Amino acid sequence: MERRQFLVGAAALASVGLGVEAAQAQTSDSRARVVIAGAGAAGLALASRLRRAMPNATITVIDAKKEHHFQPGFTLVGAGVWSPAQVTERNVDYMPRGVEWIEAAVAEFDPDANSVVTATGQRFEYDFLMVATGLKLNYEAIEGMDVSLIGRDGIASIYAGPEQANASAAAIDRFIETGGVGLLGRPAGEMKCAGAPLKITFITDDKARRRGRRGAVELVYNAHNPAVFSVTPVNDKVTEMFADRDIAVNYSHILKAIEPGAKQATYATDIGDVTLDYDFIHVVPPMRAPDAVLASPLPWQDGALAADGWIEADKATLRHPRYPNVFAVGDIAGVPRGKTAASVKWQVPVVVDNIVAETAGRTPQAVYNGYTSCPMVTGIGKAMLIEFDYDGNLIPSFPFIDPLKELWVSWLIEEKGLLGAYRAMLRGRA
Amino acid sequence: MSDFDLTTIYFILSESMGGWLWGFVVLAVLLLAAIVAGIMTLQKNGTPARRSLVAALGAGLVTTIIFTFLVPIWTLAGAGALAAPIDVLFAALFALVPDGVVGSAVFIIMAFASNRRVAAIA
Repeated sequence: MERRQFLVGAAALASVGLGVEAAQAQTSDSRARVVIAGAGAAGLALASRLRRAMPNATITVIDAKKEHHFQPGFTLVGAGVWSPAQVTERNVDYMPRGVEWIEAAVAEFDPDANSVVTATGQRFEYDFLMVATGLKLNYEAIEGMDVSLIGRDGIASIYAGPEQANASAAAIDRFIETGGVGLLGRPAGEMKCAGAPLKITFITDDKARRRGRRGAVELVYNAHNPAVFSVTPVNDKVTEMFADRDIAVNYSHILKAIEPGAKQATYATDIGDVTLDYDFIHVVPPMRAPDAVLASPLPWQDGALAADGWIEADKATLRHPRYPNVFAVGDIAGVPRGKTAASVKWQVPVVVDNIVAETAGRTPQAVYNGYTSCPMVTGIGKAMLIEFDYDGNLIPSFPFIDPLKELWVSWLIEEKGLLGAYRAMLRGRA
Repeated sequence: MSDFDLTTIYFILSESMGGWLWGFVVLAVLLLAAIVAGIMTLQKNGTPARRSLVAALGAGLVTTIIFTFLVPIWTLAGAGALAAPIDVLFAALFALVPDGVVGSAVFIIMAFASNRRVAAIA
């Protein structure tokens, strides 16, 4: 570490200790009816902040889901270092007081009538609608794939849930023990935590090396386009690391079918379908909007984000351009990048500040710059803390941490820091 | 980083550590009170604090060095995970917690032992 870097780091640390919020958060006395569709990371964080900022508003959260998953931890469960219990919590523990929670799924969005209908037939009218439904993992889009296959016949997938991530960890261990060809990759289209497929590749490589079995396993990463990551400096770094670690890369390979019995995977490529044999495969499903969103007028009507039903939203304010009292937050938002918990952390204050300003008669001014973060785990005990914006600029929060360097301190943030920060975010405190 | 104000840091620590946060606060207050009592005892007896202080700093330093290399194990990484000076710096910062406990304990023990010696001589 250079002396200058050390001094910058020390100054930054000092600023953490001394920094005190200069201004009180703005509030609004509005009696608006706010409906939040979804009680995931975005939904709960919105509910918590809105409850404090709009004490007289009627806030209703609609979601049937009772369990809450700390999804950024799924990679660590898949690595075999965390248990499923460490990423499983209850929504009720984070539901703020004074918010009505309707334990039912949203079945219909009717933005022309300013209302939503639940699966139980209840209709809720709103003045503001926050769509925070999350997304749907579309395993069915891969022919032959089913969630029940995860953990069997060399099939892993850390996305489906904590138990499946745990089963994936066991599948990785068996693969390392028996050896053979391992296929990894990601789907085409928008996806949550686009770094996770790379992380699980690095983790598999690292675990094989630690057990002295790297020579027995061949790892192949199937990228969906001509790059392994959408941010150029990160792509260059990961490509270099893959080469150093003898991880082969096939570009423009999109998984379309698997045959679990034959252990074969078929990929759509520029030259037609290609079938590869495997002993282990990590499946990352295509992702799309939930059915209720897809069937509504809310998604983009054309363009790259239309097909999968992502909600049309201004990328700076997350406000729907055709329905100005509708906001899309979190995974469901049809904005570039941004399908991570870190994005939610920055999106929620922008949306809340703007609604509070609007209902208090002020001009909304908060802007979201596309911040997202990917603590790229590159092995057990090391990671690169990568943060970037809409334009692909690296925007490190900590000036003393090199985002493109494998560091233990970045792993420390991933393993010990993120869960607490995430919980604080759910309570609207971070 | 401007986002990390004291309130945010408190809530992140509180959510990360739960009841342990207050356990540490209580421990820190108790140790501080014992140190103050030790200093006052030394002053009352006219005994210089230098010997107790040097012993406390020595014990604290040894503890810091040992724990700097144990901190990565606490994060499920291997003892050899510290790859860069920034890693060592942060591990050492975390090791200051056991350093503080051990150093304080040594100071307190030395101070009160000195007090007992003075009392025995008198």
